[in-house]
Amino acid sequence: MVPVSGVHEYPFVVVSNERVADQVFRMVISAPKLAAALEPGQFVNVRVPGNDAHLLRVPLSFASADGREGTIEFVYATVGDATRRMTAMRELQSSSVLGPCGHGWREPTQKGRVLLVAGGIGVTPVVAAGRWLAGMGYDFDAVVGAQTASRLWGIDELRQLGRGQVAMTTDDGSEGLRGFTTDAMRQLLEAHDYVEVMTCGPNVMMAGVARLAEQAGVPCQTSLERMMGCGFGACNTCNVALRNGGYASCCKDGPVFDSREVAW
Amino acid sequence: MVSTPNMSVNLGGIQMKNPICTASGTFGNGWQFEGFYDVSRLGAITCKGVSAEPWDGNPAPRLAQLPSGIMNSVGLQNPGVREFVREYGEYLSDLDRRGCKVICQVAGHSVQEYERALELYEELAPFAAGFEINISCPNIAKGGAAMGSTPEGAAEVTRACRRLTKRPLLVKMAPTNVAEIARAIEAEGADALTLINTIPGMCIDVRTRRSKVSRPTAGVSGPGIHAIAVRMVWEAAKAVSIPINGVGGVTSGEDAAEFILAGATAVSVGTQNLVEPGAASRILDELTQWVASQGASDVNELIGAFEC
Repeated sequence: MVPVSGVHEYPFVVVSNERVADQVFRMVISAPKLAAALEPGQFVNVRVPGNDAHLLRVPLSFASADGREGTIEFVYATVGDATRRMTAMRELQSSSVLGPCGHGWREPTQKGRVLLVAGGIGVTPVVAAGRWLAGMGYDFDAVVGAQTASRLWGIDELRQLGRGQVAMTTDDGSEGLRGFTTDAMRQLLEAHDYVEVMTCGPNVMMAGVARLAEQAGVPCQTSLERMMGCGFGACNTCNVALRNGGYASCCKDGPVFDSREVAW
Repeated sequence: MVSTPNMSVNLGGIQMKNPICTASGTFGNGWQFEGFYDVSRLGAITCKGVSAEPWDGNPAPRLAQLPSGIMNSVGLQNPGVREFVREYGEYLSDLDRRGCKVICQVAGHSVQEYERALELYEELAPFAAGFEINISCPNIAKGGAAMGSTPEGAAEVTRACRRLTKRPLLVKMAPTNVAEIARAIEAEGADALTLINTIPGMCIDVRTRRSKVSRPTAGVSGPGIHAIAVRMVWEAAKAVSIPINGVGGVTSGEDAAEFILAGATAVSVGTQNLVEPGAASRILDELTQWVASQGASDVNELIGAFEC
């Protein structure tokens, strides 16, 4: 069978770009064909103008993709030169985006209550998952963690969906439970039965989430992040070590993986 | 009306309809780019390096970003020749029928492994217009650059592979001692040279004191190495009479034209494919315009036309 790539390059125009938390920004772009093609949990690869010496695009998760409006909503953290330049992109500025990249969230294997766990800027695809699940009638609880209260985003977005409780954790205790998302997750696992866990955040956090989910016998989907060259399976640089040996490509085979496939 | 110049070239027996090729490892196996443009526009593509048996490649992280470049340590992850042909043979045969030549790259840790991979290709890959022997990968502990960095090592691998195929044989060279090694490869009967492979470099995270990739050194590519690559193609072109496939930091038709003037017959686009998937197609158009703008009716008139 001849393999087929569904990834294309699209022009986009910035609709809005604003700060929503400390070092966290929300950018909405207009890219109608891409918006209509995206599935929750996939990602896109954005060319950020302003520094020709910085070659690589920025792989971005999205919180929503609206096929009718033709818009895509990113919530991103400033972690390096490219994301800092991204904050300077203004309304009507244009650039190029590749997508849809990778495989997104899979529908839970059975009907029932889902647990979402987000750490740091990993909250973006988790909000996309919450919106998607709500649309399909799933109830879910969520844990959203950050270093400190000023960097939290996504709580209101998840609560507005009205499908369950949304717990917060901060490393310094400035909001919600003081501690890690896994501390809150442990409490929720004791109190409820879940059919699926879906998580995105720092690798070390997802390793802990995956361990707790496996101990509880709950299937767990993890959305991984890697340094990426192309974003569409051409360069083999974003490798993910697999439990059974060998590697998968984060961009092509992921970014969402079954936690049991990954060598944490 | 200005007539379109002839762009077809002969790269050591590989008859390309134009000089633009893609560098191994930066273009998947072609099909990943069909969503961006008609890949058959290109003169040729070079597939990812493949060994006789599957290789896992290096641990993560494999990539670091540099000013005007990137550094990779993939380590030739590949599924082995049999699986490569099973997965991509149909697409690559079709690409060949569409007029784009397919160059298959051969990887190995030892002379015997190069031979075994080439034997398998010979048997299983009728779509291959030629073979590129990679004796210059900086990211594997044995084979690769460890064999291609001396004239003797390069000659030994070339001699062994030459015996096994009548199809055009290219050798991908390390960015070191290029004139002498090019002569050694030519003397063993190679049909063409591809240069340069990535330049070994280091990138240290000073906070953790560790390499930013999983090995201490890795291969640097991108526009930051273009001037070095042009110089090395020029040196090789003066040293040998077999044609050269120039590689290194090409982002524009102008960059490709520099390689042609320095003596390259074909030009491969590498890192730019990752950041601008349509790059090779655009560069082909720009190169064609440049040939016309030079008043040439044939790109071959401009190969090695650098004036000094």
